[in-house]
Amino acid sequence: MNAMGYVLEFERVTKEYRASLSRRRFRALDNFSLQVEAEEIFGFLGPNGAGKTTAIHLAMGFMRPTHGCGRLLGEPFGHAVARRRVGFLPENIALYPRRAERLVRFYGAINGMKAAYLDKRAAQVLEMVGLQDDAKRNVSRFSRGMLQRVGLAQALVNDPELLILDEPTSALDPVARVTVRELLLAARQAGKTIFLSSHLLSEVELVCDRVAVLHHGRLVRMGRTADLLQSSERAEIMARGITPSSFTGAVAQDGLVKISVLGCQQRETLERIWDLGGEVISVVPQRRSLEEIFLEATADAESPSEKGAQ
Amino acid sequence: MRPVVLIAVNFVREQRWPILVMLLWVLLLAFLGLTTGAARQRDDLLLVFKQVAVYFVAFSVFFGCSAIYNERRSRRILSVLSKAVSRQQYLSGLVLGITIACAIYCFALGITGSWTLGEAGFPVAQVWFLMVCLIAACTLAGTVALMFSTFLNPFFAAGATAAVMVLPAVLSSKPGLGYLDNVMPVSKLCITLLNSSFGAPGKVSWSPIILAAIETLVFWLLSARIFSYVDIAVSVE
Repeated sequence: MNAMGYVLEFERVTKEYRASLSRRRFRALDNFSLQVEAEEIFGFLGPNGAGKTTAIHLAMGFMRPTHGCGRLLGEPFGHAVARRRVGFLPENIALYPRRAERLVRFYGAINGMKAAYLDKRAAQVLEMVGLQDDAKRNVSRFSRGMLQRVGLAQALVNDPELLILDEPTSALDPVARVTVRELLLAARQAGKTIFLSSHLLSEVELVCDRVAVLHHGRLVRMGRTADLLQSSERAEIMARGITPSSFTGAVAQDGLVKISVLGCQQRETLERIWDLGGEVISVVPQRRSLEEIFLEATADAESPSEKGAQ
Repeated sequence: MRPVVLIAVNFVREQRWPILVMLLWVLLLAFLGLTTGAARQRDDLLLVFKQVAVYFVAFSVFFGCSAIYNERRSRRILSVLSKAVSRQQYLSGLVLGITIACAIYCFALGITGSWTLGEAGFPVAQVWFLMVCLIAACTLAGTVALMFSTFLNPFFAAGATAAVMVLPAVLSSKPGLGYLDNVMPVSKLCITLLNSSFGAPGKVSWSPIILAAIETLVFWLLSARIFSYVDIAVSVE
């Protein structure tokens, strides 16, 4: 970790892919900068093809950035020793066909864990993900949801400081999702940092301290989840005795006028209604969901940046 | 070192079926030794022994060519390299895995060969020397294939490996190019094995084996260098 306390840091990272037989390039990440602080759950959002998985793979050292650099737990991306303190769950995990318990032990062992502690820890993490009864079964016979849970167990086996999870709940049933959510919250409580990439915005809204929205390889929104939701809080005002044309976006409804305003404009709008001789019937606060913020952010973003041959 | 050994053992475990199929050839030799008179059919036994030995050089090339490709295609490589395993360690694990697979095979062939051929009058010490030659040749061939497979698909990697192994030996027959015979010792080691006979079992020469070991190290270093630049998360399809 560096002096600023960032556990994960991207500095003006650009990643371009080139088709093998052409000079055509596709820019997956474009001048992307991001800092993840210690002991937070960071939600990493974006539509398909936004560059989320590319960013994660760069952080894990699976690929090199075209431009820019980054640090994982204070070390440059790709530093193997830094990964000892990281737990990673890839999207659509693929595992070797062997018993769940042996598999988790294998991943712990290649991460440098001692055998005596590993046996205990493997059983412990399998219990944490609810697979204690299936620990002796071969994972090749597991359902996708069970594989995802084994994947989560292998990510947790080394008791990591930083957990990087790419779509951890994508294949899970609602009960398992709740288990994972509780697991993430417990991990944060224990001082871990979690970098969570997910399409399940309701989940992200529930657990994440901060979120970033990525679109076409660019960061289009970032902030504390609570701040983002609050800043976009709206109120619906129902009034009578005024005409809809007096307010932008107001509509007539059942003899009343419905006006939707931002929280910060609420007082001003109410005073204007009274000035115009109107009567306020109701003021209903409308809290927007992360989904609405996400859709708004991605709709506003620029078109894909694709580079042709120079 | 522990991750390297674990990756190597895991590789052998994943390749257990091809290794077992190859061991059937050794069983064939043992069967011939049991059912035929070793002394009468000794030339046939030696021919089978040589064939079975040389097949494994080709097999080690296939192991080397497909190791990284299969791991990348299945995406299993991601969960391994997400741990504290460097790419050099990962490749070392694969090279060690190929060597262990060869050693298992050569040990089985050595036991069977020393029993059947030894009974027919072939020097047992020479059988084991030939097995050492075979391990050295297989390990080098597998490492060259692994090096090519870091940037080529398995088909082209196999072709490139065959070219690298065979071309120097072919060219060495041309006048003034005799020195090329020592460039890539795989062919020389295979020829040592193939030329041995009951009349002339061959002499023990360690220099091609040492050269093969040095070249294995060089190709491993080269493959580690190339592999460190490869975007492993990019689909290989």
